[in-house]
Amino acid sequence: MKKIMIVEDDRTMCQELKILLETAGYEAEILTDFERSEKRIFDSQADLILLDINIPGLNGEMLLKRIRKKAEIPIIMVTSRTSEVDEVLSMSYGADDYITKPYNPTILLLRIAAVLKRTDQGGREGVERYRDLSVNSARGVLSGEEIEIQLTKNEMIIFQTLLQKQGQIVSRDELMTNLWDNHEFINDNALTVNISRLRGKLAEAGFPDAIETRKKQGYLLL
Amino acid sequence: MSVKKYFQDKWVFLFMALCWLFFMIGLLTAFRINCSLCVILVILFCMMLSAGFSWDIMRKKRFFDEMKHNLYHMDQKYLVLETLRQPSFYEGELFWQTLYECNKSMCEAVNDYKISVEDFKNYIEMWIHEVKLPIASLGLMLHNGESGLSTKYREQLRRMDQYTDQVLYYVRSEHTENDFLLQNTELQKIITKVALKYREDLLMHEVDFRMEQIEQKVLTDGKWLEFILGQIIWNSIKYRAAMDSYIRLSVEEDSEKVILNIYDNGIGIPAGDLKNVFKKSFTGENGRKYAKSTGMGLYIVKRLCDNLGHRVEIQSEQGKYTNIQIIFARNDHFFRGTP
Repeated sequence: MKKIMIVEDDRTMCQELKILLETAGYEAEILTDFERSEKRIFDSQADLILLDINIPGLNGEMLLKRIRKKAEIPIIMVTSRTSEVDEVLSMSYGADDYITKPYNPTILLLRIAAVLKRTDQGGREGVERYRDLSVNSARGVLSGEEIEIQLTKNEMIIFQTLLQKQGQIVSRDELMTNLWDNHEFINDNALTVNISRLRGKLAEAGFPDAIETRKKQGYLLL
Repeated sequence: MSVKKYFQDKWVFLFMALCWLFFMIGLLTAFRINCSLCVILVILFCMMLSAGFSWDIMRKKRFFDEMKHNLYHMDQKYLVLETLRQPSFYEGELFWQTLYECNKSMCEAVNDYKISVEDFKNYIEMWIHEVKLPIASLGLMLHNGESGLSTKYREQLRRMDQYTDQVLYYVRSEHTENDFLLQNTELQKIITKVALKYREDLLMHEVDFRMEQIEQKVLTDGKWLEFILGQIIWNSIKYRAAMDSYIRLSVEEDSEKVILNIYDNGIGIPAGDLKNVFKKSFTGENGRKYAKSTGMGLYIVKRLCDNLGHRVEIQSEQGKYTNIQIIFARNDHFFRGTP
């Protein structure tokens, strides 16, 4: 399980973030004491840090710079400072992403997943597999031994989102957010149509009940 | 300075001199003084008088003409004194001294005002950063405790956020010249960010969001443009058509400029209101009839665009469409400079 460190001075915010991250399947730790925060961060051996800029007694940017000097832990800046200068500065100090408050929780999770995936693979494109099908997202095909299924861009995004959380329920909101994040601004009906088409294509490949619908919750890839 | 008016002003003095001249001539004739001596005396008197006047006119004219000239050409007229030399005549000195005092107190007053505006601006910026925290916390709470009501609550939260942002950008656009950072920015990236932000509102109100292939980069401040587009899209959602409503973003370009079109098939704007929509506090017919409006949104959009050096234009037909164009100037030097 990936461990995420929350560096944030607002208590309510911390607690809610922790719940959000834990529900999403991460281990979350809150940095409560800002004395020697640098050492505490290193001791925790977190896989990723969510860092607020305005922390009492310490400037988030300075902390970011100091951590970057010693380690390559992925850092996402989460802040209420909404100026381009702040963002450019943070990115130049080595932040992996910059998110402004208030954020959409689904988008925050999406960014975290993206940063973790990037650092895990070290930039390599990993080969994803679903049962005996291999997923080629660049070509948009699922290929088995004797069969090749062509997916549209939308279907591919949906399939990959489900695949990454195989066995867990993925909400429509999450699928939508991921599609829109990839410039596919589709509406509710189109999502339903895309999912039934994807089902049909998976059935062709011999997996007729691969995607399960959970009423009012979302979808599940078995 | 007009010489005619100068003499008109000095009529008492001139009248006395004239009286003295006649009195002198009378006196000289009465004492049977030699005629040519009389003429010489009169001429001498007139010469001395005019010499005195010429000298006085010259120094006054130099000072006042310079003042008038500078005043005419200056932007901040209250600073005219800084451009003038201290005059050498008494009234001038008095006048200069008075102006100097006025000027000083004026500058102090302007300065005080500047400082208080700056303080206020800083306070607003700070306050908005503070208020974003509870908004963000509430958003998280709603997400964590998913219930039937949370969609509606989230919509209200987004409205709150939209209004706080409006204040922030109003203050930024009115009171700062250099609060932005121009960078070569991918339009598609900004549009996607805005679309994601308004996704739930768009889906809830069944407004389709369409974007044509957009690959252009423009010189702008990403955060400001995000707010500008958000404001425009928010309006499009507010004034949407009753059914089959959509927003379409597309780009045209030529060698000099890149034009971003934000087109919606909403209720449109009455022709009479169209030229006023960018004015401060203008609400117009739509603002009264449909959704309530403060009349600030498009005004702030215009101000921000002006500051960034973008042009913003609007076309609309009531009941059919509204199209807002943001026109970015192309700077080839800049684009060549960055890979």
